[in-house]
Amino acid sequence: MLTALTALSLVFSSCHEIEEYPNTTVGNFEQLWQLFDEHYCFFREKGVDWDAVHDKYAPRAAACQSERELFSVCSDMIGELRDGHVNLSSWFDTYYYRAWWSDYPQNYDARIVRENYLYFKYDQVGSVSFAILPDNIGYVRIPSFESGLGESNMDAILSKMRLCHGIIIDVRDNGGGAMTNAETIARRFMTKKTLAYSIMHKNGKGHDDFSKPYDVYFAPPKGHLSWSRPVALLTNRSTFSAANVFTAVMKQLPNVTVIGAKTGGGGGMPLSFEIRDGWGVRMSAAPILDANGVCTENGIEPTEGFAVDITPADIAAGRDPILDTAINLLLK
Amino acid sequence: MRFLKQILCLAAVILGVFAVRGQEERPLRPVLSAYGVELGTSHLADTYLTPLHYNGWHAGLSYERMQAMAFNPEAWIMQLSARVNFDRAQNPARNAAMLNLEAEAAWTMMRRWRAPFGAPETLSLGIGPGTSLRGGVLYLNRNGNNPAAAKGAWTLNANAFAAYNLRIGKLPVTLRYEVMLPVTGVFFAPEYGQLYYEIWLGERDGLAQMAWWGNYFRIDNRVSADLRLGGTTLRVGYHNDIISTKAHDIVSRRITHSFSFAVVTEWTSLSSRKKQQSDEARIISALY
Repeated sequence: MLTALTALSLVFSSCHEIEEYPNTTVGNFEQLWQLFDEHYCFFREKGVDWDAVHDKYAPRAAACQSERELFSVCSDMIGELRDGHVNLSSWFDTYYYRAWWSDYPQNYDARIVRENYLYFKYDQVGSVSFAILPDNIGYVRIPSFESGLGESNMDAILSKMRLCHGIIIDVRDNGGGAMTNAETIARRFMTKKTLAYSIMHKNGKGHDDFSKPYDVYFAPPKGHLSWSRPVALLTNRSTFSAANVFTAVMKQLPNVTVIGAKTGGGGGMPLSFEIRDGWGVRMSAAPILDANGVCTENGIEPTEGFAVDITPADIAAGRDPILDTAINLLLK
Repeated sequence: MRFLKQILCLAAVILGVFAVRGQEERPLRPVLSAYGVELGTSHLADTYLTPLHYNGWHAGLSYERMQAMAFNPEAWIMQLSARVNFDRAQNPARNAAMLNLEAEAAWTMMRRWRAPFGAPETLSLGIGPGTSLRGGVLYLNRNGNNPAAAKGAWTLNANAFAAYNLRIGKLPVTLRYEVMLPVTGVFFAPEYGQLYYEIWLGERDGLAQMAWWGNYFRIDNRVSADLRLGGTTLRVGYHNDIISTKAHDIVSRRITHSFSFAVVTEWTSLSSRKKQQSDEARIISALY
């Protein structure tokens, strides 16, 4: 009986195979390629032929003589995806794709804003700083969505701004964080339950195997302050990931104007994996669509007519034309 | 009127039969309670978290209660068990750790047959249905948006055991092999790349999967020896638990091999409201 049960267990366990790779340069390369092939979600959006990428880099991987050489080849391979959510982490280095922001003007200088616009006088809750500018315009700086704001924090901010003509929300250089933190802020600017975004996930290993978009709604919180007057949302190329989605959510609201530069994208929720030699892998795996069903991976454009860059001359003069544009808009 | 008399007569006969049965002395059905620990090795894999196999150690706490059933104590026994398992395993490069914490409760009812080999040696064989509820979580410390994989299952099981009572010198010993094999049920299974964030948002379609051997295979084997040292019994044994699931192209596996130790007590509850059993009352144990 024991033999029969053991045989039975082997039969059924063998139906649940997990493909194993040897801990060799080729084995690790192949496992990394396979992980992306099965889990990465933006091959179509990026126009990447992943099989061709394999054929391009496999000979280089096979010729590698060291772990560092292999890391370099693997980094080049996943760099073809041009995705800021793609990382490879080893004990000696971590690969990031940086061109999504490094090839563009930064369009933000924190020192100029704090010194020449806030005069170093601002309140702060968590990582969020806020102040009232001359001419009675509120300014809220959100550098990240990594740490959350409580509802009472948001009440404190909006309470201070209660007599302002409008609010400027500055998410330039905001690299993202948790969507729940973005939601806490975004829903304060809504007057009714609103379709915020949709999310999909891979439901199979094929490049086009996706679930139906699941609609996510935000609603203004009951019993708390909300804002329905004009809002200027400042963005730059380093507005990424959760901040990118935050921009997409805010842009559709009738009282919001997005000013600055196109955001950096990062419209896919990333998942983590690893390969045989212990290197960590991260990649976009669950696409996020805006309320119109458009993929947010390629970034969010500013509102038409409000694309603004900061030049070196502006910086030398201590000016922030993006912030100036927002102030002028809210003063109208 | 004649019909009414017949009904009354029939009722009197039935009541009489129950009255006679009530006067029969009911056997004592002691409860076997085992409190155990187990330590051993663990193999963990879950492709939602990682494509790698993790190996490490396993520890568990268990409680088992067995008793002959009241309606036919010679032939039927009941087993109730609960356990908590903890596993910690590392990837092949030993730079990441996966933790598993789970709890399980099971109830089983088994028909048994006893074959006397000549006192005091007896062989008992049992088979019967059972049900179990299992829940837990796998946690991989290096992952970001997918750091954990929740586990949950309710299954209907086939159970069997063979127990052999013998003496080694003057020491009564019971050797037992027991196996549990889930046949069907339901288990929790997110889609291939589904984020738990999406589940939290409300996307919960298809999370419960019907279990069958093709997508949920588990076999739980135990071999034990009960060394009956007077009033207390020491149980030593080996426990092997294999569980392998495949749903939405996610394969999850946990295999443990462990040595188990338990203290077993045998006790009987006596109620002051019931008739006191005489010294000659029959004792029907669930195992011994």
